[in-house]
Amino acid sequence: MSAIAEAAAPRRPPRSRFTTFDRLEVLGPLFIIPAILYVVVLVGLPFLLALYYSVSAYSIFNPSWTFVGLKNFREVIDSEIFRRTLANTLIFTISAQIIGLLLGKIGAMLLMQEFPGRRLARALIVLPWAVPVSLATLAWVWMFDSLYSVINWTLVAAGLIDPAHRPQWLGQEDLAMIAVVTVHAWRLFPFGVVIFLAGFTSVPQDVLDAATIDGAGFWRRNYQIILPIIAPIIMIALIFGTVFTFTDLSVVYLLTKGGPINSTQVLGTLAFQVGILSGDVAHGAAICLFLFPFLLVAVILLLRSLRRREI
Amino acid sequence: MRSEREISTSAVTRRGFLKRVGATAGTAALASAVSLPFVSTALAQVKTLKILQWSHFVPQYDKWFDGFAAEWGKKNGVTVTVDHIPHLELPARAAAEVSAGAGHDIFAFNGSGGPHLYEKHVADLGSLVSEVEKKHGKVHQIGRQIAYNEDTKVWSALPAYYISFPGLYRKDLWDEIGMKPDTWEDIHVGGAKLKAKGAPIGIALGHSVDPNLSYRSMLWSYGASECDQTGKRVTINSKETLEVVKLVRAIYKDAMEPEVLSWDDASNNRYLASGRGSWIHNPISAYRSIQKATPELADKIYVWKTPAGPIRRLACGAPNSYVVWRFARNKDTAIEFLRYWTDNWVAAFEASTGYNHPLFENLVPKPMPILSNDPTSHPADKLQVLETADEWHATYGYPGPAGPASDEVADNFIVVDMMAKAATDKATPEEAVAWAQKEIELIYKKWSAA
Repeated sequence: MSAIAEAAAPRRPPRSRFTTFDRLEVLGPLFIIPAILYVVVLVGLPFLLALYYSVSAYSIFNPSWTFVGLKNFREVIDSEIFRRTLANTLIFTISAQIIGLLLGKIGAMLLMQEFPGRRLARALIVLPWAVPVSLATLAWVWMFDSLYSVINWTLVAAGLIDPAHRPQWLGQEDLAMIAVVTVHAWRLFPFGVVIFLAGFTSVPQDVLDAATIDGAGFWRRNYQIILPIIAPIIMIALIFGTVFTFTDLSVVYLLTKGGPINSTQVLGTLAFQVGILSGDVAHGAAICLFLFPFLLVAVILLLRSLRRREI
Repeated sequence: MRSEREISTSAVTRRGFLKRVGATAGTAALASAVSLPFVSTALAQVKTLKILQWSHFVPQYDKWFDGFAAEWGKKNGVTVTVDHIPHLELPARAAAEVSAGAGHDIFAFNGSGGPHLYEKHVADLGSLVSEVEKKHGKVHQIGRQIAYNEDTKVWSALPAYYISFPGLYRKDLWDEIGMKPDTWEDIHVGGAKLKAKGAPIGIALGHSVDPNLSYRSMLWSYGASECDQTGKRVTINSKETLEVVKLVRAIYKDAMEPEVLSWDDASNNRYLASGRGSWIHNPISAYRSIQKATPELADKIYVWKTPAGPIRRLACGAPNSYVVWRFARNKDTAIEFLRYWTDNWVAAFEASTGYNHPLFENLVPKPMPILSNDPTSHPADKLQVLETADEWHATYGYPGPAGPASDEVADNFIVVDMMAKAATDKATPEEAVAWAQKEIELIYKKWSAA
């Protein structure tokens, strides 16, 4: 059929291009439902289950749902191991956050500079974040090994330590804590770099130029202009980092299993030991739930501070 | 060349895509629903058996076991799958399988925890154990500890084997000081002399499995234990324990290096292999590795019984057992396989190069293969002392039965930390023992109520 005849032929009224799936009130909930289901099924329900486990007598040996009130919490607090674990968790979390974010800021500032191979450096810096935690931690296990530590070897070769008194990174209580904090900060560092890089690029150049003209030096620009502007982004990083660190199990478990003498035991590893290895699910859940009020308070404080800054 | 119109009609639109995907998914679902009865009937005719066990420290044992299971499956028309995972992952895997009510038919437990904790989730293997006892002799006491519940009279597992904990020592070095590491006192005195010569002894003091076994061995040899014979009363706070804690403190300061605080289960093997160590408390896997890597060093390493104390000579062996889950699809097949495996125990023992120790009296008649004459060792009777290992081994919970409480004490490394606290002067021996009593009491109290 020619184009003219086609054009002259009576046309059927065009069907509406909009169907049910094009309506915002249908499509919106449809897209959000998977996320809500994910949170409800994989976060909400396990949380409620943990709440009930913690006030029950449930164990693998005797899967009983008998309600015991706060007995499990009292028994958990009675243990010196738990009290030490709680303190360790706070030290571990706060130290790893401070070091990770500080290194992140320094890294981001360096990566903002122009230098050959900057793109490659940016890609490589994300590696600690991208490498599976188990593999990365096993590499650190060898670096801290009592006999074959490359760190000790370097220190001995540089004449900085006496070979007869090599530091036992995973064997001395203070050094073991430093070791687990170091590994976790190393893992957090790329996250910090990415967050700070994103923050730095959002700082208007004219504001910085004006400050420079007004005589603001490096430190003043950093602490009185850049940091206040990117504070909301840092707060988000801090919330994520705190939650990741507070709930982390893998670094400590793979490096020290909480030893020596529980000096690196954190809530995650203790809960795993009691709840899974020993099968005492109720007490394991009670230990886990001690994470919750701390995290809740931390998140509320951070979000409040964030809102104040936005106002 | 296609016209513009043709192109436009063949382009993928969102609506078209959704329709096609929907139709395809619907057809696939319908097809599988229609064919399900036929497929499931066909599947039901093929018997399967799924086994999960740890990746053995002697890799050739796994190789033998896989072949053995496959051959048995071929003979009996059963498709056998054997999965191996690292031993430290077993508890989490067991918990996951029980929660899901699905997984393997046979599950092998290694170390603390297992048969007693999971008693309500496993089949009672009492009749299989009786049958094996009739055929291969009485089960050793350590076998009862591993798998039998004295209160409920249930055999929640088939006692599979235990891993012995002898002393591995450098004979050349100990000969130089004119001693043999036969008692814990020898370990202290001889170890101190050898440390002065640059060859300390090593017992781990960190959070790992080996020290759990070593320090229990030491406690029992001095007449101390974490609980009494009933397995209900905590007895760690005793003058015998105090004596042991003081001895460990002395051994740590005089005969060991601080690195033992950071050791994992492989560290003492590496230590002996490095040529520095003069004595370690470990299964013969350390010796076997050195045989392969440094044969001349292996020739200098000898094996002797666990050191004796003033009361007895007793080591804590690492327990191994097989359970059959209650939810297992093929319980009878699983039990049939375990029966066959037990009947071929000598081959299993040989494949493990004498590492797995029998738990029934006549499973491996004496003189035992390999242990009595190991052609790879010089002299060939180097391992002969292990033929009597059943006389000087018990396991967690001794002198009482093992159970969830004794397992949790081990999982939380309380005995090890008691020793480490005193050894590193973080607490006096008295304070360390009192601390352990309190922590162990909390655990026993809560499990007694379970």
